[in-house]
Amino acid sequence: MQEFLQHTLNGLSFGSVYALVALGYTMVYGILAMINFAHSDIYMMGAFGAFYVIRFFNMGDPSPLHFTIGLLASMIFAGFIGFCVEKFAYKPLRKSDKMNVLITAIGVSILFEFGGQIVFGADPKSFPQLLSNEVVFTFSDISFQMVDIMIYVVTFISLIGLSYLINKTQTGRAMRAVSSRPDIAPLMGINSNKIISTTFVVGSVLAGIAAVLVAIKYPKIDPMMGVKIGTSSFVAAVFGGIGSLPGAVIGGYILGLGEYYLVGYGASTYKEALSFSLLILVLLLKPAGLMGTKTKEKI
Amino acid sequence: MNKKIIIFIISFVATGIICHLFLNSYIQALVISFMINAIMALSLNFITGVANQFSLGQAGFMALGAYTSAVLTKQFLGDSWFLIPLTALIGAGVSALAGYLVSLPSFKLKGDYLAIVTMGFAEIVRVIILNWDHVGGPRGYNAIVKWPQFLISYSATGLFLILTFMVLYHLKISWFGRNLWALNEDEIAAEVMGAAVAKNKRTAFLISSFFAGLGGALYGHHLGYISPGSFSFLMSVQILIYAVFGGLGSMSGSVLAAFILTALPEILRSLPTGGIDLRMIIFPILLIVMMILRPQGLLGRKELFESKQK
Repeated sequence: MQEFLQHTLNGLSFGSVYALVALGYTMVYGILAMINFAHSDIYMMGAFGAFYVIRFFNMGDPSPLHFTIGLLASMIFAGFIGFCVEKFAYKPLRKSDKMNVLITAIGVSILFEFGGQIVFGADPKSFPQLLSNEVVFTFSDISFQMVDIMIYVVTFISLIGLSYLINKTQTGRAMRAVSSRPDIAPLMGINSNKIISTTFVVGSVLAGIAAVLVAIKYPKIDPMMGVKIGTSSFVAAVFGGIGSLPGAVIGGYILGLGEYYLVGYGASTYKEALSFSLLILVLLLKPAGLMGTKTKEKI
Repeated sequence: MNKKIIIFIISFVATGIICHLFLNSYIQALVISFMINAIMALSLNFITGVANQFSLGQAGFMALGAYTSAVLTKQFLGDSWFLIPLTALIGAGVSALAGYLVSLPSFKLKGDYLAIVTMGFAEIVRVIILNWDHVGGPRGYNAIVKWPQFLISYSATGLFLILTFMVLYHLKISWFGRNLWALNEDEIAAEVMGAAVAKNKRTAFLISSFFAGLGGALYGHHLGYISPGSFSFLMSVQILIYAVFGGLGSMSGSVLAAFILTALPEILRSLPTGGIDLRMIIFPILLIVMMILRPQGLLGRKELFESKQK
């Protein structure tokens, strides 16, 4: 029982991270109908941004201030990278074939991974311990560490913030408009390029938050760190119904829990294959995902 | 036309003999890997360029072909190199069968989703091999039978490349290829005109995975060692880059691109990169710039030897 609870706890932490990253995938898909393969690398760049800022100011010891600064640095850096990727790689292709955009996205992703190995070095770096390791409270032999609690709290705040942004602000309304009718939205006076750019930045900022949380929980960062989390989050996004924000969050938690039960009870080497098998099953049985809307092909 | 074929055969043989006599084994190995890359690029080009079905799982089919052929020669047929062509074809057959099975449910999906399913398929193949101790698991499968000397390897791989090229090129210009092209241009219109959409796509996928398996088998016998790591997502991407660079839909473009992109990183090898695979820096930059400036690739849909459009 205790073991089960521990796995649940870990699954929920990772589910939160998957949810944050999956939101980026699903937002970009919702607005541009493209799979942003480079999203996992924006996540990686966020972690490195925080790493270098913290090293520059020499703030490697645990304290709430340092944690906040690390988080902000990662958010700003990831947001900036997301902005640049959209501006220089995807924007010139706005009118071209869908396959070309997908190919470019793969190119950007590989460029970040291997360019990162040259710039940052291929060996893993140890991320500073920004939160203390102390156990905050114990509940029937399960100890809650500061890191786990912060993961839940920060994810919760981010989700509330995102939901406010999407549902209550003018920008959010414009995002929904561009996402539902990209051809009509500009006629209504929406600057769709600006909205697309904003969407990329918001998604990237969420990835940056996730990156710092993961880097504190598992303090090793390297240029390939995004690949695994990116794949799982992407599966989570498709599983939940790509383009649907609540779907991405639910998908993230289901996948996080599922993977941790799988790892906890044996079959850890099959982890990745399982997420993909799940994905293929979902696509074949219910291609729109859990919460997605089914689109009809029009002539 | 006959004259051209004779010139081609003479230059093919001459290149082989020149490589054999005057060049070192490093360059000889490069020539073979160019031909294997070209086979892989052609196989992807057929499904993605001609039939417009985006596949990201070519490495999975390659792995199937490579492992089937390697295991067959080593464990059942007693290490004799002259059986390699046979086992390579069996490997290709296994890969084609897998391709057919993948295609059965997949063509309900299109575009991005098909890319994801094929990518997932390749990943599943890789993880299964990784967990399969009988074929070495993560350590890889080594001491695979190799061709005894360069000239044999050159002519066998070369003949397979020519075979692949001829089959795929003739399929491209046949009624079947035109059917696929029609699907590619406008699926609904093609269906209205009586093209059997799902069946044609499935056949195209089967053909593509057959040649991907063939390329994989030759890859295994060329290197003598294969591991699940060689057939990762990066391999699929690399194949995709060859096909896109040469021009999706152009068979000779794929061969040309495989030649340029196999040679280019070797020429640039002297640059200091700190042990990072330089290809993985050049290729994505090339890909992004290409997509922005010349999205149709070097040759577009045209072939090198088609001087005027028919």
